[in-house]
Amino acid sequence: MHISDGILSAPVLIAGFIGTAAVAAYTLRQLDLDDIPKVSVITSVFFVASLIHIPIGPSSVHLILGGLVGVVLGIRAFPAIMLGIILQTILFGHGGVTVIGVNTMMLGGGGLMAYAVWQLRHHFNINKKEMIFGGLAGAMGIFSAGIVLALSLVTTGEEFIATAWYTLIAHIPVMIIEALVVGSCAAFLARVKPDALAGQLPLVTPIPAPATTTTTEATKASNEDSPK
Amino acid sequence: MPLDIDRFAKRASALQRWDPRVKLFTLGIFVFSVALLKTLPIACVAFCLAVGILRLSNLPYDFVASSVKWVIFFLLPFFFIMPLSYPGEAAFYVIGLPFAWEGLQLATLIFIKAVAIILTTFSMFGTARFDVSMIALQHLKCPKILVQMLLFTYRYTFVFLEEMRRMQIAMRARGFVMKTDMKTMQTMGNFVGTLLVRSFERSERVYKAMLSKGYQGELHTMVKFSSERRDYIKSILILSTSVMILALDFSGLFLPAKQSWF
Repeated sequence: MHISDGILSAPVLIAGFIGTAAVAAYTLRQLDLDDIPKVSVITSVFFVASLIHIPIGPSSVHLILGGLVGVVLGIRAFPAIMLGIILQTILFGHGGVTVIGVNTMMLGGGGLMAYAVWQLRHHFNINKKEMIFGGLAGAMGIFSAGIVLALSLVTTGEEFIATAWYTLIAHIPVMIIEALVVGSCAAFLARVKPDALAGQLPLVTPIPAPATTTTTEATKASNEDSPK
Repeated sequence: MPLDIDRFAKRASALQRWDPRVKLFTLGIFVFSVALLKTLPIACVAFCLAVGILRLSNLPYDFVASSVKWVIFFLLPFFFIMPLSYPGEAAFYVIGLPFAWEGLQLATLIFIKAVAIILTTFSMFGTARFDVSMIALQHLKCPKILVQMLLFTYRYTFVFLEEMRRMQIAMRARGFVMKTDMKTMQTMGNFVGTLLVRSFERSERVYKAMLSKGYQGELHTMVKFSSERRDYIKSILILSTSVMILALDFSGLFLPAKQSWF
């Protein structure tokens, strides 16, 4: 899901580039030396996985997995999605050079929102919480991307309001499919390789000296840690 | 869809001989000026220019067409949505929906501009090896870390594409058929999960291999760029054309296809 060249007005395009540059500069600064090859290799998996088509009745949709990038890479999802979008522009001509900024804000922002939803799982103690919150994160990735897409269309001109509504409605089935796939993928990773997920609590917590360490503090601490 | 866009980078043409740094900069400016056009006649001129540049690049026709046809396919809905939803006076009604010529004009403008830009993207990146283009981007002050990540991601895309094909063959051999049901979603979730686990393990190995070869956050390359006078002449020709079409577009000689808030 991305917007093509030649639709949006100059202010929207420029706003997209400025926003992307700001968030990318912040998130790229968080990367360590060993993150560079790792994030790149994992990005190429997402790039390849987004070529998978899932049938819906007679037609089919391709996976976007913006939410899953957030679930796996945490805050590093933003540069990862930016890479994916630049590559898609260069290799397929989907989207376009002038809309790289807007598209990255749309999907990369979705990835960050998905990560925020995914982190909420620490506040709940229920069965299958990885599946439930993974699913919510997957849906959130598409939902917030859809909202940004609609906003960028509407701010370009009022003649696009109807188009914005159509695209929002068209994304409801995509949202459901993404939720199901990302949910089961998160559950799979939690079973098979839990340290592949972003923002996991350390399995063996060091014994806190005074009993003041609450769950929320532990969550905050683990947010800052990058997973192995 | 071809993933290796630089498949025909070795063909001899004016664009392949062009210094990649100057080429990316010039065509980048051209693309942005096309994106800002608002009148139909000028957009048609820009489209012809884009086709002309692509003809110069000597890329095979079906190589470009195989990607462009998808873009055209995505843009087709605009021809239905825009005329029927354009606010303003309706020329006539189609099954109760107002049909506005302005909407059709706007849809055509969007279509022509988008196709022109995609054709230019091929001239930009199809005419040099991918890594050379990326290093040229680095010379154009693109952040080093971004260029490195793009190179890695591009390289491993082919590895995982092959891996994914193998896994899909294995799934089909066991009788898996994709349907619209819960089972398929779950299987695809596990499929992506397996790919991810493998990529995690591979990325560890890649990083260790790089460290052992002395990686310290820098990529050293043997690519050397040199620009001559004819590189700049090509650049000045295209840059002045870009400025000219933008000036004609803003001059008010032609009626803009839309009245937006811009």
